[in-house]
Formats: sequence, structure tokens, C-alpha cells
Amino acid sequence: MSSLPLEAELPPKPRNHLRAALGVAAFLMLTIATCVPAIGGIEIDLRAIARNWSNGSNLLSQMLQPDFTFLPRTIGPMLETLQMALVGAVAAAFVSVPLTLWAAAPTNPNKATRRLVRTVINIVRSVPDLVYATVLVAMIGVGALPGLLTLFLFNLGVVVKLVSEAIDSGDHSYMEAGRAAGGSQLQINRTTALPQSWPLFANQWLYALELNVRISAILGIVGAGGIGRLLDERRAFYAYDDVAVTILEILVVVVLIEFASNSLRKRLV
Amino acid sequence: MRSSPLRSVAEANPSATESWSIHLDNVSVTYPNGTTALQGISLDIAPGEMVSIVGLSGSGKSTLIRTINGLVPATSGTVTVGPHNLSGLRGRRLRQLRGHIGMIFQGFNLADRANVYRNVLVGRFAHSPTYRSLLGITTSRDRELALRSLQSVGILDKVWARAGQLSGGQKQRVAIARALAQEPSVMLADEPVASLDPPTAHAVMNDLRRINAERGLTVVVNIHLMDLARAYTMRMIGLRNGEVVYDGSAVDATERDFEEIYGRPIQPDDRLGQ
Repeated sequence: MSSLPLEAELPPKPRNHLRAALGVAAFLMLTIATCVPAIGGIEIDLRAIARNWSNGSNLLSQMLQPDFTFLPRTIGPMLETLQMALVGAVAAAFVSVPLTLWAAAPTNPNKATRRLVRTVINIVRSVPDLVYATVLVAMIGVGALPGLLTLFLFNLGVVVKLVSEAIDSGDHSYMEAGRAAGGSQLQINRTTALPQSWPLFANQWLYALELNVRISAILGIVGAGGIGRLLDERRAFYAYDDVAVTILEILVVVVLIEFASNSLRKRLV
Repeated sequence: MRSSPLRSVAEANPSATESWSIHLDNVSVTYPNGTTALQGISLDIAPGEMVSIVGLSGSGKSTLIRTINGLVPATSGTVTVGPHNLSGLRGRRLRQLRGHIGMIFQGFNLADRANVYRNVLVGRFAHSPTYRSLLGITTSRDRELALRSLQSVGILDKVWARAGQLSGGQKQRVAIARALAQEPSVMLADEPVASLDPPTAHAVMNDLRRINAERGLTVVVNIHLMDLARAYTMRMIGLRNGEVVYDGSAVDATERDFEEIYGRPIQPDDRLGQ
């Protein structure tokens, strides 16, 4: 375009070779350190694969012959799993609305309460779901209820965190109008911020439901109800043909739910 | 059927709004980051006047208009709107005062995903208790005021449309309806036509002038275009670097006056055209 010498005008691109080199060195050293058992690294014995191969191939060959006559017995536990997933997601959806608006800066200008809600949610989120399930089973007994509560807590963490961050990064010029009209924060949130954030919520609610179906399939392994309990029971009897049927069924259901949820979410945005 | 309940509100409240004056006495605004936006502004705007505030971006006109409803608090000096002194007003009493001051914005500031009706109900916030907004209960009076406001700017047919689906001109009309639903005593407009094409800009300015003429409402309009200020307002206040450099007739303002306000020669961009 112009005939000016471009290179002469171009400001030098900032480079920091030393910092890059130090970063690479630190990464390499950390990788090596985690691989050396003598200094506390993890022990990985790749020969175990070869050594135990006969066991593994045996199991695989059993798994490859699923016993479909077992299928009817899996229907009940599978329905329980789906119920847990749905009820947990719906309960979390209700509770997530006020908590999310409380955790986002545009909808809650009060720093103290915002930090409080965020801290609590981060703690809830940082506990793995299987830990919740194990502890809850010990507290309230084996069954669907501890599984349900696990999913509820897990969903709450996911939805509140993701939606409040989405609200934080959104455009909220309509709030100035609400304030100029003499609205309180609660009025502004209820009448305008909520309809404005509705697609964000719906998106994460569906995503939570999707995750729930996947997670609740294994919650039964620690006694928290659903198809996982059946899976664990058949595995304990070395009935790998039944295990195979159950796993296949879980796979099909998860894929179906994901497909449904994805096509619903696409329509939202 | 639809127009009769709307008319009944008009008949029940022939002069539901009284027009307020605006007084600024030696008002200065310094933002927390140290920027001084306004320096020693003193102004008297009489009830029912239509005034334009002209200046380039950064001249302080956005800040000035926001001191009138307390969106930006004055660092020093006093702001009086109608019978109310804004200094020291906070919380519920400030919100109640804002309920009497309508405002429209350059970016319309609508909730795009909510429908037009809900957006206009925002204008009823200060007049309805929080629990009612929380439960989503609308009184028949609020409903009638909202619909009547939409009718008066000619877009009642869009009442159930999502605000985001409207054109720029329609959005600004919804914003005007939202302000009118407040039954305001003062109307503020911050660069209301800067995001609109010329014909729509003239239509919106005409709406504001009609509101001023029909309701006798005090209207303060921020504007950076000289021909709009001349055509639609009687009085013009020129602002440069946070100080008043012109205060007088808009029609009689000369090119030199505008050059003084802008602090540079007139450019073609300073006029909107037809």
C-alpha cells in the first residue's frame, strides 16, 4: 500500500528469551521429578501390561460375549439412575438461580456477600463427587438418596460457577436504565437480569443433567444407588457377560441424553 | 376494546405529572481515578424548558446529565431537582426521587432478551414495592401506564416482541416509553440519537420535542451535533473541559459560538443533515 519502509517504523516485538528458557527448564525438571520413584515420583511398571496380559485378554473375551438375557434386570436400576440424574439436576436448577445472581458482580454489587457465596461454592466444587457419595452413604445409608444429594451438590457447584462467570463477562447496560428509573438491585435482577441470563442458565442446567447421567452410573459403586450398584454386584461375581451388557446400556443412554441435550442447547443460543 | 382502558387512565390523571426545575450550584465532579469531569457548574433550568447540552465527547456532558439523577454524585456543590436536594440522598429516598426523573441513553439500555412490555415496566420500579416485582405481580395501573406509554410513541403493536428484535429507532422509542411510564417530572436524554441513522434521529428528536410541548415536561438533551441543537431546542448550554462556555439561545448561536464550544473549527461531522 504505502512505500514507506515498514521495518523501520515497526516497533520491536517484546521478547524475553530468558523467561521462556526458565519456563521450559522448570517444566522439564518437574516432569523428570514426577517420574523418578527414588525422589517421590510415581512408580510406573509398564511390564505389568505384558505380565498380566492373559488375565486381561480372558476378561476381554468374556466382555465381548454380552449376555443379553440379563438386559431386563438392568431396566429398573437404569430408571433409578435416570431419576436421580433428573431430580438432582432440577433441584440444583432451582437453588442455583438466587445463588448465581448472588455470586455475580453485576447482579450483586456487595463485595462481602459475593465473596462469601463464591468461596462456599468453590469449596463445594472442589470436593470430588465420589467423596460426597462415600461420605453421604456412610451418613444416611445405602440407596438413591445419597446419590441424589451428591448430584445436587455437584450440579450446584458447576451451574453457579459457570453461569455467574458468564454473567460477569456479559454486557449489562440495561442495569443503568433500571437504576436511573429508581429500581433496587433486587427489582433490576428479577425483571431484567433474569430474563437476560435465562439462556445461560438453561444451557448449564442441561449440561448438568448430561453430566449427571454419566456420573450417577458409577455412584452405585460406592453404594449410592442406580445402575452402578448392579454393575458392581455383577463384577464381584465375575459375571463379565452381564457387566458388558450393563456397560453397553450405559453407553447407549449417555449418548442418547447427550444428543438430546446438545440439540436442545443449540436452539437456546 | 384495547384503547378504552388506556383512555381511562388518561382521563383519571389529566395532569399526573408536574414539571420540575433543575438547579445546579457550583457543582464539581472528580472521579475516583482523579479525572475532573465538571468544574464549578451553575445552571438554572426552568420547569417545562427544553435544553440541549452541547459539547464534544469528554466535555463532561454525560457526567453533567448523570448528576441530575444522582447516577454520578456531585463531589461538591448542590444539585436541586424540583423540591428535592440531591446531596446526601441515598438508598430508598434516592430511588424514589429517580422515579420522577426519566432518562434515555445512547445505547438504549434495554434488556434485549426480555420483551418490550417487561422493559417498559422497568419504568414502574420506583412506584412498586420490591416484593411485587419479585413475584412478578403487575397492578392494572402499571399495566395501563406501560401500554399507554407505548401507544404514545406509536409502537404498541410491538409490545410482545423481544426488545433485541427491534430496529434502533424502535428500541429508542421503547426506551422513551419506559421513561414515560415513570410519569416523570423531568426527562433526561444522553446522546439519544448518536446510534441512529439521520431520518430516525429526527423522528426521535421530534418525539422528545412533542413530549416537551404536550406534557410541558422539562427536557435536557445531550447532543454533539449543532444542527440538531439548533432545530429542536430553544436554549443551549455549551460545555468544554467540564466548564460552561455558552448558555443562551440555540437558534441564534453562531458558527463562532460552536467553534468556541468545540474548541476547534467546525467540521462536516458536526452536522447530521436531513
